[in-house]
Amino acid sequence: MQDVCFTYGDEAHPALAGVSMAIEPGEIVLLTGRSGSGKTTLIRALAGLVPHFHGGRFGGRVDVGGLDTRLTRPSELAGTVATLFQDPEDQVVFGGVAAEVAFGIENAGVPAEEIESRVCRALDEVGAVHLLERKVAELSGGELQRVTLASTFALRPSLLLLDEPTAQLDPEAAAALLRLVRRLARERGTAVVLSEQRVARALDVCDRVIVLERGGVVIDEPRERARRWFQGARPACLALARTTQARYVGGDTLCRLDAVDFAYASGPPVLAASSLELRRGEIVALTGPNGSGKSTLAKLAAGLLEPLRGTAWRSGRASYLSQDPGRYLARERCDEEVELGARGDSGAAARALEAVGLSGYEARHPRDLSSGERERLALAAVLATEPDVLVLDEPTRGVDPEARQRLAALLRRQAGQRATLLVTHDLELVEAVADCSVTLEAAGELLAA
Amino acid sequence: MRPAAALALLSALAAAALLADRWQVVAAIAAALLGVCLRAPAARRRPYLLGCALTAGAVLLITPFVVVEGVNVLWSGPVVPVLGQLDVTSEELAAAAFQALRLSAVTLAFAVYALLLDHDELLRSARFARRSALVVALATRLVPTLERDAAGLVEALRGRGVDVGGVRGRARLVSPLVSGSLERALNLAEAMEARGYGRGGATRPPALRWRALDRGALAAAAIVAVGALWL
Repeated sequence: MQDVCFTYGDEAHPALAGVSMAIEPGEIVLLTGRSGSGKTTLIRALAGLVPHFHGGRFGGRVDVGGLDTRLTRPSELAGTVATLFQDPEDQVVFGGVAAEVAFGIENAGVPAEEIESRVCRALDEVGAVHLLERKVAELSGGELQRVTLASTFALRPSLLLLDEPTAQLDPEAAAALLRLVRRLARERGTAVVLSEQRVARALDVCDRVIVLERGGVVIDEPRERARRWFQGARPACLALARTTQARYVGGDTLCRLDAVDFAYASGPPVLAASSLELRRGEIVALTGPNGSGKSTLAKLAAGLLEPLRGTAWRSGRASYLSQDPGRYLARERCDEEVELGARGDSGAAARALEAVGLSGYEARHPRDLSSGERERLALAAVLATEPDVLVLDEPTRGVDPEARQRLAALLRRQAGQRATLLVTHDLELVEAVADCSVTLEAAGELLAA
Repeated sequence: MRPAAALALLSALAAAALLADRWQVVAAIAAALLGVCLRAPAARRRPYLLGCALTAGAVLLITPFVVVEGVNVLWSGPVVPVLGQLDVTSEELAAAAFQALRLSAVTLAFAVYALLLDHDELLRSARFARRSALVVALATRLVPTLERDAAGLVEALRGRGVDVGGVRGRARLVSPLVSGSLERALNLAEAMEARGYGRGGATRPPALRWRALDRGALAAAAIVAVGALWL
């Protein structure tokens, strides 16, 4: 990559500004930086999608495996390059897992008799061969992430581009995926560009780190030198500082779930005799593996679902932050989006935007924001409702380390105003802000409180 | 039965419903298709059956006011610019009911296609017009995807205490659903290009062998389509 500059068609500022880098076979490069710093655009440039798919003004040169991306369509690069995008749901073409994994290798012209074995092998590599006969629509978020990853592995690319691949995974699954990426790089000599917000866990598997800021490279260093740089310049990237605000001292009960059972229509039980109590001033963390029923319990606490058995008692106003920030894009301006839940109170909306670091974004269209910024906008939209019970479902997914640190401080600072339930895989966040932690095992079994 | 044979049969039934002149024939086709449709899980078939009922109901309501037919006037209304005299005759009602029945049969044929056929196999067995087949397969997924997106939006709005009941509340969903679908379509197109879609030399999966049942379904489809001209 030589002096690459790129500006999207309708933007005034460049998304990439003079980026130069080289990646060797078998090397794992960790790409990080704040939300909107240009990580996804850099990945698109390496895949040839910038400028071919997105248009805009492009300068410089990108060579991948000897192919100049300006002269080679992204579809021609496929096979040499494989890309895993941020949202696995948006890249699924087929309804069945086997056909989905086969799609890329069929396009690459792999002989028909090899396709089935390549599909099985790729699924096996990501620990998902048991999903071979399943429908994509039936998969959990974590399972779908594995299937899309298998689709990229099946191509056996020289360059693998992963855009926040662990964002939807629980800690064990994320660690397993990163180990897998490392093994792939070592055994096959595949070069990997790994875009990640969770720097600490990705540092252990990478060889080199590139930090982007406003489209430019801030540092491009080997892992240990980069670690030292983070320790000095951006400590929040390595560890979330424990907040110094006062801890829970006891308040009135605002939500109580007693021995609740729940199952979705014609589905298996999700929760069985689960109990939970939320008190004003308290931050309760709810953790557990993918598919354990955390979100369902959170929705019961927020009053979005009612239990099939057991009792749910709630007091005051409850607000719920969904896992998917794409659900907070109902209006055409950020301030209007936030005002929606604040019953038109522009002051409350402005305060909420400021609290999440989005002051100045009022007139922007929510769909023009990066994924991390969308997550913060969704949080602002919920905070602006000034609830008595605040339920946050994976609030740090896709959020950069500084914003995560701000969120931790904000939650602790405002803890006295409400009861907070924090559903998360982010154990560091739990450690930093939670007063107590509840763990759900598979099928809604309450383990510890 | 191979999905391609089932699709041929469904197409023939839909064509027969459009061509047949006797309501009993169309009703029989609609009933048969409804019976098949009910084999799908209740949650999945609900939006299709609701859509079928709504469109048929709309045809039943609107047709008498835009068609001028018959002499047995049941209701006489005012003169409306462009449409003229608004009245409803028994013949118009019968014609509206027949058209609604036709539409129900066609919609149910689509519902069976969307709910019960293996689109992956259909797509892989397409020997020609593969791009068109892919577009149709992706468009078919739009209904459940939109339903899921709408449920997610409603949940997020309710989670902020925003009322989503009534016509006004539902109207809030239209714009984000449309823009969300466009964004999803763009993301999918980008992902497909990155996975090599559209380049030359793609591998074609081997053709699936047709069984007696499939050949029988094809023959039945031909008989139904041609026979409909005399029904």
